[in-house]
Parts: sequence; structure tokens; C-alpha cells
Amino acid sequence: MLKIDRRIIFLVIGLCTLLPLLYPVGLPIKISSEVRGVYNHIESLPERSVFFMSFDFDPASKPELHPQAIALLRHAFRKNLRVVTMTLWVTGTGLADQIVTQVAKEMGKENGKDYVFLGWSPGNTAVIINLGQNLYNTFPSDYGGKPTKGLPVLDGVQSLKDVTYMVSLGAGNPGVEAWYVFGKDKYKFEMGGGCTGVMAPGLYPLLRSGQINGLIGGLRGAAEYESLIDQKGKAVAGMDAQSATHVAIIILVIICNLFYFSMRRAARQQSG
Amino acid sequence: MDATVFGAWVATGLTLCIFTFLYKDNPLFKLAEHLYVGVSVGYTIVKAYDTVIVHLIVKPIFEQGEIALLIPVAIGMLMLTRYVPKAAWLSRYAFAFIVGVGSGLAIPRTISSFILRQIEDTVRPLLSMAGGDGVTFSMNLLNPSSSINVIIILIGVISVLFYFFFSIEHSGPGKIVARTGVIFLMIAFGAAFGYTVMARMSLLIGRLTDLIEFSDASYGRPTLWLLMVTIGVLIVLSRRSQRKPPQES
Repeated sequence: MLKIDRRIIFLVIGLCTLLPLLYPVGLPIKISSEVRGVYNHIESLPERSVFFMSFDFDPASKPELHPQAIALLRHAFRKNLRVVTMTLWVTGTGLADQIVTQVAKEMGKENGKDYVFLGWSPGNTAVIINLGQNLYNTFPSDYGGKPTKGLPVLDGVQSLKDVTYMVSLGAGNPGVEAWYVFGKDKYKFEMGGGCTGVMAPGLYPLLRSGQINGLIGGLRGAAEYESLIDQKGKAVAGMDAQSATHVAIIILVIICNLFYFSMRRAARQQSG
Repeated sequence: MDATVFGAWVATGLTLCIFTFLYKDNPLFKLAEHLYVGVSVGYTIVKAYDTVIVHLIVKPIFEQGEIALLIPVAIGMLMLTRYVPKAAWLSRYAFAFIVGVGSGLAIPRTISSFILRQIEDTVRPLLSMAGGDGVTFSMNLLNPSSSINVIIILIGVISVLFYFFFSIEHSGPGKIVARTGVIFLMIAFGAAFGYTVMARMSLLIGRLTDLIEFSDASYGRPTLWLLMVTIGVLIVLSRRSQRKPPQES
């Protein structure tokens, strides 16, 4: 067993992923307090509040962060918030534009009036600091080239200080941490985060200390958010597969450990 | 061909090419890998040129007369002197500017956000005054701010810090504290690894979801056709490599 061809393990994992996607079971999804934190805050915002979202990821993290972005935007548009979006990742610009446009169209929202996608600006963390000083200097025009000054969606918004709630969906640096360090900590707005599964353990200290008020972690977090807004999508569909692969991995780990310890005992008995 | 359908064929083909690595390293995987790198770099260059050069430099200077922008442009141009050995020393001014500004911005904010706020959170009061109940000690492990969790975090932080304190030998009571630190570290690594496995599985689920979607007739069933082509190519490549005589070392 310890010398098993690794391709057999790939096949087992592949089947455990594929079969639940083809034949879903619909396992229950328990909502965690960290995901509920983001949901509850958005739910508590009055209409036309300014909701700022930064899509700090690229297509490599699409499977985890794309469903999170879709669910958050649907929730924000349903609450009639003014949605201001941007990205700190140049390779994520096209994907972010596609997500915002797709959800806005689905929810019947108007570009410039209900939402705006500012695009990408160079400078990583310096962009956050600039946004805290003057949004119009950082983004003189939106992604489509329209001047940002005078857009109804930005009415009364001069800088990050005028943002009611901000969520960064981050797949690395710059991401949630950068937005906290150079944004929230300096300009004092309420903030939540969304991230890939790999990053989630590193962001829990920020959550516990109240530096961010909620955290959507990985595909699991996206599935919880989809359940909360009652619009089940790709994340919920993937949860059966996620559970099946986890069970398969746990079984493989147990089997390999049993074989390892039994072989070690046999070797000791032989030498003794 | 519709752009969406064409995109589905390209995405399916490249996904399958990358998946062939699970069988073994092969030219199909290399093709997809190099395409990914090339497209990423090309996209970044085009976006950076359009956003930075055109929209943030050329247009404001020539259309709006913002001459002050020439100062950051000049500092940026100094970076390029790295390619001229005799003038390379000029680039140090640009680097000095970037390091100075970057450090000045990052150090106070990082100390405030991570060190001070996290220390504040680590040394929370062990007992709390809740309403008219007087001093209380909560034992709820599920509540992150309960008294028992505050104690666990305090023990964890101190024992891990002690484990990385190498000036005294870890023996006697010190050994127990260091071992406790190792246990906390192992739990943290386990949690991080668990999340990493979950993330990687999510990526696989994402690709398989797309492959299932693209097996639909509305896309022309690229998943099925390209899967057959990929398997065919792998068989041909495998046979060709078997026919090759072993190379002499």
C-alpha cells in the first residue's frame, strides 16, 4: 500500500470529485459565525449606502473567489446599495469587470448610477492610501473611460472615509491584510474579508481581534453565503464533492498510517 | 464560431492539457504551461501600458497640462539606467526614493495593525464583568472571546515564543513549555494544511464543474471531443517514447 502508484490516488480523488458533481446529494450546509458577520452587516445597511468591493484575485483563484463575488454582489444589489468596485491585481481586471457586469445585468442595475467598476491602478498598497485621500485622483475615470467625477453612484463620496462598508476578496498580497493595514486602520471604515482557503487561517487573528467583522473562507464560505442569500450557485453545488474528497483523503491518511505502523512493528520484531 | 463557444473549446483544451501531467510530464502539459505564462505576461504588459503610460501619464500631461507629473516620470526613468552600466548609479536615487517612501508608509501601519492590535487581543482580561452578574469566567470553547479561550491563546503565544527562544537550554520545566509550544505549532500547521487541501480540492471542483458544463451540446461538446484527442495524443507519445532506444549515459 505504501508503494501504491500515485496515479491511483489521483483517480480516486478525481472520481470522488466528479461523481458528486454529476449526482448531487445535497448535504446540509451549516452557516459559520464569520460568514454570518459579513452577511449581517450588509443586511443592516440602509439603502444607497456605499458598498466598496475590491476584487484582489486573478483567474487562478476563480473557483473559490468567483462564487463569493457573485453572492456578495447579488446581496448588495438586492439591498439597493451603491456598489463601487475595483481591483488591485492587474491580471484580474477582465475577470472582475465580467463579474460586475454580469451580476448588475442580472439584477437590472445601471452602470454609473447603481454601480461602477473603477478598474485597476498601479501601486498596490499606495493605491489604497491614495483612495483614502482622494478617490478621483486615484481613478480619474472608470474602467470604461467615463470620468468618475459627477457619477451618481459616487455622489457624496470623496475618499475611503465616505465608504459605509468594504469587502476585499483576496487571493494573496495585496488583499485583505493590505486593505486593513493601509485602509481601515488609517481611514476608519467597517470592513469584512473574503479569501481563498489557503489564506483563511492567517486571517483568523484579524477576525478574532475585531479588526475585520467577518470572513468568507474559500469555496465553503461562498457556499454558506449562497445559502444565506438563498440563491444557490456553483459553490453550493461543489460542497458534496468537497465533502466526498475530504472523506477520501481522511480514509487514505488512516490506511497509510495503519500500514506504516504495522510495517514499523514488523521491522522491530524482526530486528528484536 | 461564437466567442463563448470558442472560449469553451480553448478553456477545455488547456484544462485537459494541464491535467495530463497527472499521468506524466509531456509536451501537452508544457504547451499549456508556456501559454499560461506567455498570456499572463502579455496581458499584464498591455494593461500596464494602457493604464499607466496612456491614462496616467500621456493623457494628463498633454491633454490637461499636468506638468508636475514629469517628476515621478523622471524618477521612474532613472530605474532604466540599470541597463547602462556607466549611468547605473543613477538608479540608486530611484530605489532610495521607493525604499524610503515604502518603509515610511509600511512600518508604522504594520506595527499598529499587527503588533499592537494583536498584543492587545492576546492580553485580554481573564475575568469579565457582565452586567449585574459581577465577575464571571466563561468556559464556552465555541465562543472566541470566552475566558477559557483567552487562557488557551495566552498559553499558546507564550509557549511558542519560548520554543523559539534559543538562549537557554530547553530542559526541566523549560522543556515542558517548549513541548507545549510544539503542540500548538503542530495544531496550527494542521489547520493550515487542512485549509490548503480544501482550497486545492476547490480548484479541482471548479475545473471539473466547467468541464461538465462544456460537455453540453450547446458548446459542441468540447469536453468529450478534446478528451478523446488528448488520450489519443498521450497514447501516441507513449508509444513513440517506448520505440526510442535508451540514451547512453
